[in-house]
Amino acid sequence: MRISITVNGDPVAQPVDPSDTLLSVLRERLHLIGTKWGCLTGDCGACTVIVDDRSVVSCLQTVGQIDGADITTIEGIAGRGRMMNDLQEAFVTHGAAQCGFCTPGMVVAAEQLLRDGVEPNGAAIREGLAGNLCRCTGYSKIIDAVLSVALARME
Amino acid sequence: MTSYYRPGSASEAVAILAANPGAMVIAGGTDLVIDRRLGRADPRAPLVDVTGINELRGVRWDGDELHLGATATISAIESDPAVIVRTSALAEAARVLGSVQIRNMATLGGNLCTASPAAEMVPPLMVHDAVAAIRGPAGERRQAVADVVTGPRTTILASGEILTNVRLRAPALSGSCYLRQTVRWAMDLAGVGVAAWVLTDGTGREAAVQEARVALGAVAPTAVLVPGLESLLAGAPPTTERLGAVSAAASAACEPISDTRGTAEHRRHVAGVLAARALSIAHARAAGLWSGGLAPVNGRASAVTSSGERA
Ligand SMILES: Cc1cc2nc3c(=O)[nH]c(=O)nc-3n(C[C@H](O)[C@H](O)[C@H](O)COP(=O)(O)OP(=O)(O)OC[C@H]3O[C@@H](n4cnc5c(N)ncnc54)[C@H](O)[C@@H]3O)c2cc1C
Ligand code: FES
Ligand code: FES
Repeated sequence: MRISITVNGDPVAQPVDPSDTLLSVLRERLHLIGTKWGCLTGDCGACTVIVDDRSVVSCLQTVGQIDGADITTIEGIAGRGRMMNDLQEAFVTHGAAQCGFCTPGMVVAAEQLLRDGVEPNGAAIREGLAGNLCRCTGYSKIIDAVLSVALARME
Repeated sequence: MTSYYRPGSASEAVAILAANPGAMVIAGGTDLVIDRRLGRADPRAPLVDVTGINELRGVRWDGDELHLGATATISAIESDPAVIVRTSALAEAARVLGSVQIRNMATLGGNLCTASPAAEMVPPLMVHDAVAAIRGPAGERRQAVADVVTGPRTTILASGEILTNVRLRAPALSGSCYLRQTVRWAMDLAGVGVAAWVLTDGTGREAAVQEARVALGAVAPTAVLVPGLESLLAGAPPTTERLGAVSAAASAACEPISDTRGTAEHRRHVAGVLAARALSIAHARAAGLWSGGLAPVNGRASAVTSSGERA
């Protein structure tokens, strides 16, 4: 079975094993190492990417299942030619990253949550990000950053 | 390289399974990918991916019959407006399962076939009297969901068979509710999960119960239906006294274990408390008294009972 996927707008040319996880393809074949290799059990969210407008944990996603899909990783979240989008800038200005290990997954999960029109309140954002663990920040600054963008994008 | 098949129809999937003994069905992969990596499932077994099969997909209503495809995702169930209103227990179980990411991947069929004692969707399906369709080399058979799971990690599916869909009816004047107790409020398996379903003879506070079912998850090797509820409830509204009897019956139906999510004694107690609470909410929904939307997570819901007290 030949898999064709695009990652951040680029078609993946090399053949991949359909039973491999998307996480291993991203990191080991495409060298997109922003997506983190964390628990591998779906619990931490550090490997979160967007597959056709849905956030998934790439450690449990086989590539065979997403044949034909468009994938967005942290490397592509800002869009072509941009360093950072408003959400990434909000993470910086709110001090929402410390060690940074959770940050790519957190940003990707939050970006999809915003695109899905999450209610601009702390409770809804917390619930939406329940699958992303952070050992450093205590979450408050992350929630503040996402909330600020949720409100700003409504204007 | 592992053999990987992505059939386009259920009959093709069955044929591939027949031709590849030991092949495993993969749906969302949220259980199976972990099991393969940890060696709990054979990592070299060929995979038959059923997510490409159209007839296995989707959440669909046909009058008062709900048709859930085996590969309907938990997020699709959680967000279906009619599921929320008419089969609330299913939506309440779906929205506490895992995280957004897990719900986007995990399927109803995977939740049923994984046969975990704590599987979220099983008690709601049981109280709704859902029937599973199973396809194998000999054709299709139907089986009540209550009989599909036979023990921890075992089902009645023979090797070579696949689950294709689950169907249930949501008649007028029926309502349901699912509540669970967890240690953490999200990303935790149920310590106790309770689903209740009620059919009433009318609307309003005094509406009598015609039929009622309560199913308990995570308190026995498989989800269990609480026996004897008809005689406790039928013909009258669920008064505080009757709800007390429901609690006792639910506690008695448990065979819990003690683990990090609670002692056996605690689980038995909580099952009783949540059974009464879920039943009174299901009654309120059936009788048109509930305007509170979905119950909050972690079982902390209350409902006004027919006698006007908070349950
Ligand atoms: C972080 C995390 C949190 C979780 N939280 C919860 C939770 O709160 N509550 C809960 O209940 N579960 C939870 N789970 C478990 C899991 O997500 C669910 O059981 C899910 O519904 C499984 O569905 P799937 O499609 O991913 O199954 P898969 O992993 O694809 O398959 C599971 C099993 O079912 C079989 N199977 C799947 N589909 C079919 C079919 N159509 N016919 C025959 N066999 C089939 C497979 O062969 C396999 O044995 C969690 C998992 C993770 C990783
Ligand atoms: S690495 Fe995928 S969820 Fe932790
Ligand atoms: S910043 Fe270190 S884990 Fe979140």
